[in-house]
Amino acid sequence: MLQLRSVTKRYGPLVALDDVSLDIARGEFFGLLGPNGAGKSTLMSLVAGLRTPDAGTLTLDGAALSTRDAATRSALGLVPQSIALYEQLTAEQNLRIFGELYGLRGAELRTRVDEALTAAQLTDRRRDAVRTFSGGMQRRLNLVASLLHRPKLLLCDEPTVGVDPQSRNAIFEYLERRNREGLTIIYSTHYMEEATRLCSRIGIIDHGRIHALGPLDELLTRLPFEEEITFAASPDTAALTAELAAHGETATLNGTNRFRPRADFKLSAFYALAEQHRLPPRLFTQQRPTLEAVFLHLTGRSLRE
Amino acid sequence: MRTLLTLVRKDLIGFLRNRAALTLTFVVPIALIFIFGQVFGLNRKDSGPTGIRLAVVNASSEPAAAKLVDALRAEKSFRVITEFINPDQSRRPLTEDDARAQIRDRQLRFAVVIPHDLIAENEFGLHLKILSDPRNEIETQLVNGLLQKTIFSNVPELLGQSLQARAKKFLGDDSLKRFNGTVATAVASAFGGDAAEIQRRIESGDLGLGTLSSTGKPAPKAADPSLRTLAAPPSTPANADGEKKPVDDIFSRLVRIEKEQVVGKDVKSPDATRVIGGQAMMFLLFALSGSAAAFFDEKNSGIFQRLLASPVTRAHLLWSRFIYGVVVGLVQLVVLFFAGQLMFGVDVLGHLGLLLVVSTAAAAACTAFGMFIAAFTPNAQAASGLATLLVLTMSATGGAWFPTALMPEFMQTIGKFTLVYWSMEGFAQVLWAGQSLVQILPTIGILAGIAATVMSLAVWRLNRSKLFE
Repeated sequence: MLQLRSVTKRYGPLVALDDVSLDIARGEFFGLLGPNGAGKSTLMSLVAGLRTPDAGTLTLDGAALSTRDAATRSALGLVPQSIALYEQLTAEQNLRIFGELYGLRGAELRTRVDEALTAAQLTDRRRDAVRTFSGGMQRRLNLVASLLHRPKLLLCDEPTVGVDPQSRNAIFEYLERRNREGLTIIYSTHYMEEATRLCSRIGIIDHGRIHALGPLDELLTRLPFEEEITFAASPDTAALTAELAAHGETATLNGTNRFRPRADFKLSAFYALAEQHRLPPRLFTQQRPTLEAVFLHLTGRSLRE
Repeated sequence: MRTLLTLVRKDLIGFLRNRAALTLTFVVPIALIFIFGQVFGLNRKDSGPTGIRLAVVNASSEPAAAKLVDALRAEKSFRVITEFINPDQSRRPLTEDDARAQIRDRQLRFAVVIPHDLIAENEFGLHLKILSDPRNEIETQLVNGLLQKTIFSNVPELLGQSLQARAKKFLGDDSLKRFNGTVATAVASAFGGDAAEIQRRIESGDLGLGTLSSTGKPAPKAADPSLRTLAAPPSTPANADGEKKPVDDIFSRLVRIEKEQVVGKDVKSPDATRVIGGQAMMFLLFALSGSAAAFFDEKNSGIFQRLLASPVTRAHLLWSRFIYGVVVGLVQLVVLFFAGQLMFGVDVLGHLGLLLVVSTAAAAACTAFGMFIAAFTPNAQAASGLATLLVLTMSATGGAWFPTALMPEFMQTIGKFTLVYWSMEGFAQVLWAGQSLVQILPTIGILAGIAATVMSLAVWRLNRSKLFE
């Protein structure tokens, strides 16, 4: 559906996107994971047609995204990072204006506005000014306003920044439902939990380059370990920790030791070593690594740096 | 104490980095102090207006009339025009009809006509005519005062000539000559001097009254006490109500000045047009600058991103803002002028059609100005600072606060580069002078030209700015 080929974008000497190629299939829920300044928003703005690339091509169903024909524009929906609504207008007025800009009129527009208000759980607040809404309500309206015209591809640029957990969950559920109905979504975030929960495929981006691309399970296989073990840092565990350094990666954070074994170091060997140090298995927590670990492994830095 | 100093330092650093605050704190007041200083003549050797265009029509052959023209030329407040320039650039002396037509066409606002009967044989005294377009009451009073000062400074000699002319009619040439000779001999024997020279001066109308008065020497007993005061300017200011009536004091019996208001005879409140137009323009500029600065809010909120991802283009955004500005500006101007009609009796309804034309052109120029501010500033704060500076200085130099004639010539010239000046001109042409569409077209053209030029620059700049990214 969406194709990016060798796309490069520079801001003066800064290379925001460096030779990025990417294919997004119809119906996909694609996550773009990276820290602030990684190039996520630049990539989104290029797809949305807000900027033009310095090199490379972007096409949507074969049509170049650099053209501004109404059909191509109407195939896209953008949920900006900030609350892109007219605060002094009511929820209904906002939706009507955005709908009209996409060519919706009359009964069709009224129906779409009603549907959007229902989806955002704002039917009873439809005639209230947006400035009187809570942050979560504004976020929900911000989202549905981008879907009024029923785009084929929805671009969500960190749409849950500053949202309370309840509203965040409502947004997730709504997006998942629309994705099941066939909507293709590109979702940029620096929250690995969001990418893990929502996305069928994830691209890890940093310094303008896509470092890895694939479903979560596939990305996890890139790690040199399958499980990581955590245990309390104490004088009792100090000797074990020192010995584990020869078999994998160890780190201590906030009073907790983390051990990521090398591929050739079996978990059975770990527990045998612990037993030698008279440490019972209940002291250890064994868990699958997260996207955070993948990101750290691929880029050498944390998502929140 | 250290805490206090740290907090003060924090505020100072913030203040010094805030260009808008710096502009409003230092640049705007300094600019206004300069403008007001120029208006009130501070730090100038000569206060008062300069360079007011004054047409002088001299139809008299009397030598004293030429001296009066010279005296008017010497008055630094006036730029005297005595010739009419034909389309082929040839020149001829200005006539009364020329002066009247130029006042109607708003090329000038004041004219002095020295008629052929300045000194008539059949009456004692002088006859002068002042034509005016008293659209600015303050300016008109100033000009009338200056004119009377100049005229009455030259009255003694003119009256002397008038007296000689009347005496000649009754006594005849020879008898008058004998009479003058007798008087000259008597004066020479009483006060000294050459009798022939005194006779020559009497015959030329130079009775020496101006010298006596201006030097403060005691008047000769023989002189008429009433004549001794002639050299002083009148204490009663000129009447600017436009009716043809003589100055109501002793001089009116000796110097008959006809006053004719050429333009705006039917306007009830002469200054209301300027006051309403000036305030309307200033607040319209503030309103539209603020509206254009809202561009930054829409960018920061991501609304531009949302809109530009849709079928909306940059051109849509720019021109919709322009149309919005023109509509708001037009409505604001019309509402304020109707308020002027209610409060001061300005005839808005009678000129509604042309007022709408001028208001539309003015609103377009103001909107373009607002867009220009948004285009050439990096954020809303900077836009607000620059807008305040430009709006206040344009309003002051463009005549929104006081008549431009009160300012030095260089500032009057600067004022003509402002849209405020041309908007005020347009309002005055319609509401004060009652001009037709054809007559106001040049002003409309200038306003439209300003709007087009400024808007083109704004669009060019906005299309290259990061506002829409």
